[in-house]
Amino acid sequence: MENLQMLFMGFSVVLTLENVMVTLLGAILGLIVGAMPGIGSLAGVALLLPLTYKFNPTTAIIMLGSLYYANMYGGSFSAILLNIPGDSPAVMTALDGYPMATKRNRPGQALFTANSSSFIGGLIGMLILTFMGPLLADLGLKFGPAEMTSLLLVAMTSIGWLVGESPTKGVVLTLVGVLLASMGMDTLTGSPRFDFGNIYLLGGIPFTPFVIGTVGFSQVLKLMEERNKKVEANLNQKLTIKGSLLTAHDFKRLLPPAIRSGFMGTFVGVLPGAGATTGAFLGYAMQKTFKSEEPLGTGAIEGIAACESANNAAAAGAFAPLLALGIPGSGTGAVLLGGLMMWGLNPGPLLFTTNPDFAWGLIASLFLANILTLIIAVGIIPFLIQILTVPVRMLIPIITVVCVVGGYSTSNSMYGVIIMLLSGVFGYILDRNGYGVAPMLLAFVLAPLLESNMRKAFIISNGKLDIFFDKPISAFLLLVLFAIVLTPVIKFILRKAGVSKKK
Amino acid sequence: MKKLAILLGVLLLVSMSVFAAGQTEAAGAAKTFTPSKNIDWYVTSSPGGGSDIFTRTIIDIAVAENLLNGQNVVVQYKTDGAGEVGRLLVSQIKAGVQADHTLLTFNSGDLMPMLKNTSNRFENFQPIAHMAVDKHLIFIGEYSKYKSFEEVLAALKRGERIVLGGSKGDDIACHAALIKEIGVTEDQFSYIAHDATSGAITAILGGHFDLLISKPAAASQYVEAGKIKPILALSTSRFPGNLNSAPTLSEFGYKNVEVPNWRSIVAPKSMSAEAVAYWTNVFKKVSETETWNKGYIEKQKLVPDYMDSETFRAYGMQFQKEYLASIGK
Amino acid sequence: MQTKKITSKMLIPIVTAIIAIVFIYFGITKYGFMHEVRGPLPGFFPTIIGFLLLALSVLAFIGSLKEESPGFPVENWYPALGVVAIMLSTLVIGMLPSLALFVLLWLRWFEKFSWKATLIGFAVIMAIVIGAFVMWLGVPFPKGFIYNLIAY
Repeated sequence: MENLQMLFMGFSVVLTLENVMVTLLGAILGLIVGAMPGIGSLAGVALLLPLTYKFNPTTAIIMLGSLYYANMYGGSFSAILLNIPGDSPAVMTALDGYPMATKRNRPGQALFTANSSSFIGGLIGMLILTFMGPLLADLGLKFGPAEMTSLLLVAMTSIGWLVGESPTKGVVLTLVGVLLASMGMDTLTGSPRFDFGNIYLLGGIPFTPFVIGTVGFSQVLKLMEERNKKVEANLNQKLTIKGSLLTAHDFKRLLPPAIRSGFMGTFVGVLPGAGATTGAFLGYAMQKTFKSEEPLGTGAIEGIAACESANNAAAAGAFAPLLALGIPGSGTGAVLLGGLMMWGLNPGPLLFTTNPDFAWGLIASLFLANILTLIIAVGIIPFLIQILTVPVRMLIPIITVVCVVGGYSTSNSMYGVIIMLLSGVFGYILDRNGYGVAPMLLAFVLAPLLESNMRKAFIISNGKLDIFFDKPISAFLLLVLFAIVLTPVIKFILRKAGVSKKK
Repeated sequence: MKKLAILLGVLLLVSMSVFAAGQTEAAGAAKTFTPSKNIDWYVTSSPGGGSDIFTRTIIDIAVAENLLNGQNVVVQYKTDGAGEVGRLLVSQIKAGVQADHTLLTFNSGDLMPMLKNTSNRFENFQPIAHMAVDKHLIFIGEYSKYKSFEEVLAALKRGERIVLGGSKGDDIACHAALIKEIGVTEDQFSYIAHDATSGAITAILGGHFDLLISKPAAASQYVEAGKIKPILALSTSRFPGNLNSAPTLSEFGYKNVEVPNWRSIVAPKSMSAEAVAYWTNVFKKVSETETWNKGYIEKQKLVPDYMDSETFRAYGMQFQKEYLASIGK
Repeated sequence: MQTKKITSKMLIPIVTAIIAIVFIYFGITKYGFMHEVRGPLPGFFPTIIGFLLLALSVLAFIGSLKEESPGFPVENWYPALGVVAIMLSTLVIGMLPSLALFVLLWLRWFEKFSWKATLIGFAVIMAIVIGAFVMWLGVPFPKGFIYNLIAY
């Protein structure tokens, strides 16, 4: 197959000493940047962009690519160990990662699960990219506003799976999330919305400090209660790689979610506007519809596997439109694109023909980065677990500082810190009253996409609804939506009918 | 307790001196200005974007040509409030050493939302140099119903509805000027704003609407690949190269329409006159280098257009006046 | 007659209901609901969501009347107060010194760790912050009022 040959050619480009070293460096930096809350892949890639100017374009993009990719691995570390997601895709990882590390006392395994799933997801994503890259990119093009609206409506139903004990509370928060997300500049009209005259709110509520606050800082407030508990002595046994290995059974548990999410995540990454964060959310939500040995949210391996695999796969998938069409699927993609253009390369339909060694070199380097990052990530598990032996009383001020710094770094201003603080307090109060914040975060990410696509579709259709049914992909997705929504209703009716028959 | 207080006091002093950045001599009473400390250059959009590339390119050239007296430039990204916070901050810097060492990247795409959504105005800044200009074209995609602008005009006359996609910012103003000139309403010739031109390009490649408005840089590689075709040049003359086939509006009997997207550098209003003279000269030299012209202008398909501080001031004020009138303020 | 205390559990639906009303109000009056040709306007989506939220807030409120309220130990608010203190002191002495002070004071004075433990914790966190955020990523932290006075 021609693509396979090209891939091997790409490997020959990558496997020079310089390029391997650079991949390694990118992987290490990416892991570190990814693990730090507040510096997500966007900021990390942008800030490290100048570092790559010294190298030639191919080497430089290899380093950036591996950095971007390793970011997805790193985000899970602080999520699992501290319940503070290193970046937005890691939010879902924390939901099961942290309980698995603390309540179930299997931190090493949690990290190992995250790493393995990341590897599998990324591998699937890259294989698909290799063989179907341009095809997939073309498929992504077919998703215009109407199709995206229908797709996102389906995705929103997945929130239903996250609401937990009390549906009312879960939906209330989802709706609050939607409203909070609508604050800021409304792109379609170029005017501000719900800014209440405040210059900062013109830009809306920034996601990263919001997440750090609701998930991370509220966690710190909760931890204040636990500070006097004794540190468990048996943690000492698990501080080796051997002690962190997954059993064969564990592995069997993580494979299906990882593979499923790998495919789904790749596809999500290809879609315009949807990136690793959306992929991770949807991966987790999808897992809810399948059986997990332990319930999700309590430290189930399946939970970690589903979202970690999805977010790495989405990162790989995002390269498809970037390389094949020159279209960045996300903010980070835009930075990579800018970098590519600075080096005189023009990603676009012509890239694979005019610079094949570059394009395939990049793809090959992603494979290499995947392997290298896995090795490094697994290797440092014992060191990472040490963090858990630190007494809670010392962790609290340390994490507080990290939250403040993280909140500040997103936009280099105290606004981020204020948002972090307010969302932290808000999140803490909610949590104590039995309101889970996950639906709110998911709504915050998906709702703006849904709304803007819906309004664009209406502009195109001149205010009429038929566009959603005329376009085949959209019509199909709406059918899926009705099926999902109506199934429980039908079941309910059937049950009632069955009951009345028995009477 | 006393020990603690002493320790804290020492700690305070130590941290302050550790975190102090570089020398901080006063600029002195010299008549001519040369930079004597780090220069703070503000960018009100995210790293990696057009403004960032513009800024970093200029900095690199200025450093290479040794125009900064050996001082460093610290690029500060202030993206809060869609960039308005950063702009407001710069406009309010008081006179002094800091004002003389502060610069801000400022485009027409920054000016227009600022005028529309805040009370900040161009006169609150000190113009330094206008560097380059970008104009727009209208394109069709592979799946578009119309094959030329004549067909578009004919369709509009027949009462058909057409949708144009582009990015937010200056593309919107250009569309508004266009429909005003050809005499159709927004309802008939609607506009969809995307966060970035790449979003609109994605949509037109997928055939989701018929027309695209874009600046040359974002579109040229798709033109080369044959995926989109320019059908109208929103400028006073045709574009060069592979965009040459697109006629201007005057060829259809209308007045030419253009809403140039300019890139420039400004400073706090309170910057001293000597510093202004210095900086405007620095950027003049940058604009004359080959690295700038071949490495940036040509690559980004811009039109080089250096204006010194006073020429730029007149231009900017006129632009502001026209824009404010067009949005009814 | 016993009057029920306003508990935080009840407060949440009240707050969300207020949020809903605010968004509905602005959505309809300021941002517009629907346009013939251009379809839904900026106010459309938020207003509909606002109504849904209002309805559900009422439901949640009714539900909350039956439930117990959780307690909020005073101590749990300390980190939040700490952050406020950090923010205020940043204005004066800059962020990095404020963070350093916070860690030192918390570990030594509040948690009563030994000097050794305090300094180790302090060193670790400052290493992370300075090494990664300041030196490597070059994040420009606020330097504070006093510094700005001295520097110029």
